Amino acid sequence: MIPYGRSLKRFLIRLGLATFALLALSPVLWGVVTSLYPLSSLTSRPPDLNPANLTIENYILVFDTSRGLFSGLVNSFIIAFFTSAVGLVVGSAAAYALARLNIPGRNQILLMILATQMFPGIVIAIPLFLVMSHLDLVDTHFGLIMVYLSFILPIVIWILKGFFESVPMELERAAAVDGATPLQTFQFVVLPISLPPLFATGVFAFIESWNEFFFAIILTRINVKTAPIAIAEFSGQYTTLYGQMLASAVLASIPVVVLAIIFRRFILEGFVEGAIKA
Amino acid sequence: MATLELVHVVKKFGDFTAINDVSLQVDEGQFVTLLGPSGCGKSTLLNMISGLEDVTAGEILMNGKVVNQLGPYERDVAMVFQNYALYPHMSVAENIGFSMKLRKRPKKEIKERVQSVANMLELEHLLHRLPRELSGGQQQRVAIGRAVIREPSIFLFDEPFSNLDAALRIKTRGEIKELHQRLGVTSIFVTHDQEEALSLSDDIAVLSAGKLEQHGTPEEIYSRPASKYVARFIGSPQMDIFAGNFVMKDNSLWYQIGEANMPLPIDFIAPPQQVDMGIRPEYVLLGTKGFPASVRLVQPVGPFTYVTVDWQGGSVTARVNGVSHLKVKEALHVEFNPEGLIFFDRASEKRLDI
Repeated sequence: MIPYGRSLKRFLIRLGLATFALLALSPVLWGVVTSLYPLSSLTSRPPDLNPANLTIENYILVFDTSRGLFSGLVNSFIIAFFTSAVGLVVGSAAAYALARLNIPGRNQILLMILATQMFPGIVIAIPLFLVMSHLDLVDTHFGLIMVYLSFILPIVIWILKGFFESVPMELERAAAVDGATPLQTFQFVVLPISLPPLFATGVFAFIESWNEFFFAIILTRINVKTAPIAIAEFSGQYTTLYGQMLASAVLASIPVVVLAIIFRRFILEGFVEGAIKA
Repeated sequence: MATLELVHVVKKFGDFTAINDVSLQVDEGQFVTLLGPSGCGKSTLLNMISGLEDVTAGEILMNGKVVNQLGPYERDVAMVFQNYALYPHMSVAENIGFSMKLRKRPKKEIKERVQSVANMLELEHLLHRLPRELSGGQQQRVAIGRAVIREPSIFLFDEPFSNLDAALRIKTRGEIKELHQRLGVTSIFVTHDQEEALSLSDDIAVLSAGKLEQHGTPEEIYSRPASKYVARFIGSPQMDIFAGNFVMKDNSLWYQIGEANMPLPIDFIAPPQQVDMGIRPEYVLLGTKGFPASVRLVQPVGPFTYVTVDWQGGSVTARVNGVSHLKVKEALHVEFNPEGLIFFDRASEKRLDI
């Protein structure tokens, strides 16, 4: 039997959590609802949420019209994919080196990497635009990937450095004595153990660049518009197509939600557990 | 199999000298223990032999060749780590066979060798398990298997029993000794446990603060310790050491501790310097002869009982066969067998050959 005090405490905790979840989810819920009703039902007072009015019209329209949502999703995917892929490859190598090798000025390098994170985006927006336009990189995938890497790489490096430092040194020593060269040690021992955190960091990088809006709106015009920009454009000077806008938003969220679910599973897997007997 | 030689080896970490001019000769097939308390540099020395740590000065030779510049993967050594360091993502079979995979041996050969090593270590039924699904003792055996499959010139053991419970520790100790008798591979074993060192080794090297205190057979180390440090470190319970003086009385030489005058052999010549005297429990006799004393502590350990008595303002421990019926505070007499007396220079703490 659970004592009365404890069950009450548990109930209160759950109530608190449920309230928080509801608050956090209500905009999402309202977004989904909005995307499933015609505009007229939503603008009437009170909103007419009769299930008979449910429609998937918005979802069809976002692809029908020349709104560029589809190409936006494709662009977002290309950019997020390459940002996270390059970020992982370069970032994991840098993080491993910074965690394990005796590099002169190691701490200074780490601080410099961190310092790049301290400028608000707005401060570098104009100089960045000038640089990119001189380099002819405005409105290109490459340009946006480079910019995203500039703020995602430092985070990737710091996260992975922390992880690599937590990999027991003795494992690498054991591999070395077993006859592995440093590269083989990385390939056969460190990398396989690191897959879950690498994957998690990759997903994080993907979501960051998938959702990015500020630099995307400055650095794209026509060709490389990403999904967030395409979504924002449903809001015009005279009208805002709420239904279609939110339908696009729901569609654009799907990959992120799917990734987040996989990501959670991976994080829960305690891979390093059992390596070393404490 | 190989010989191993350390020649004036030094290791510094910044300003800190971890290993200070250690020279050591290990013959082919010998089992040598590096013994010392934690922080004495024994693991550092082992890591230098394996190639995991580089050498600040001096030379390490294997089979007469200097190996200072060789990485661990180029030295023919296998190591068992204190925490086993099993690869967590590999099965037992993969863990044991990893070194052969690195050497690109055919799959069939790897499988056969893993199987035979697993048979030897009674791991056959665990080959498909992951390390985290094994008990401590089983993990330990996998770690040993990973070393054995290498057929290395030298085995290195870094306190491999420290995570095992007492019973398993003694059992594994026996297994390692048998393994060494069977394979005859030169082995270097690091431990802080003097009993482990005494029971396993052909030779023991006692280290203190990065220096080699003494290198000799377990028997030598036990009965002729080079210094007070070694004398205290080896043997349980510890050797008792007294700060007394030589005195001439009634035309003969005595060693005076407090008010007790210890007789010395007739041909004994007193050294000029100040001298401390040590004695192990097995040379301390309790009974009706000798100096008066009273019982402070009675510790039975099965075949023996260690009896500590208050004597001359200090205490001395005697080993009594079987069960002792002495009671605390009981008055008795204590006598020292002159054969067991060991003298140390008080200033340098070195043993004096007298």
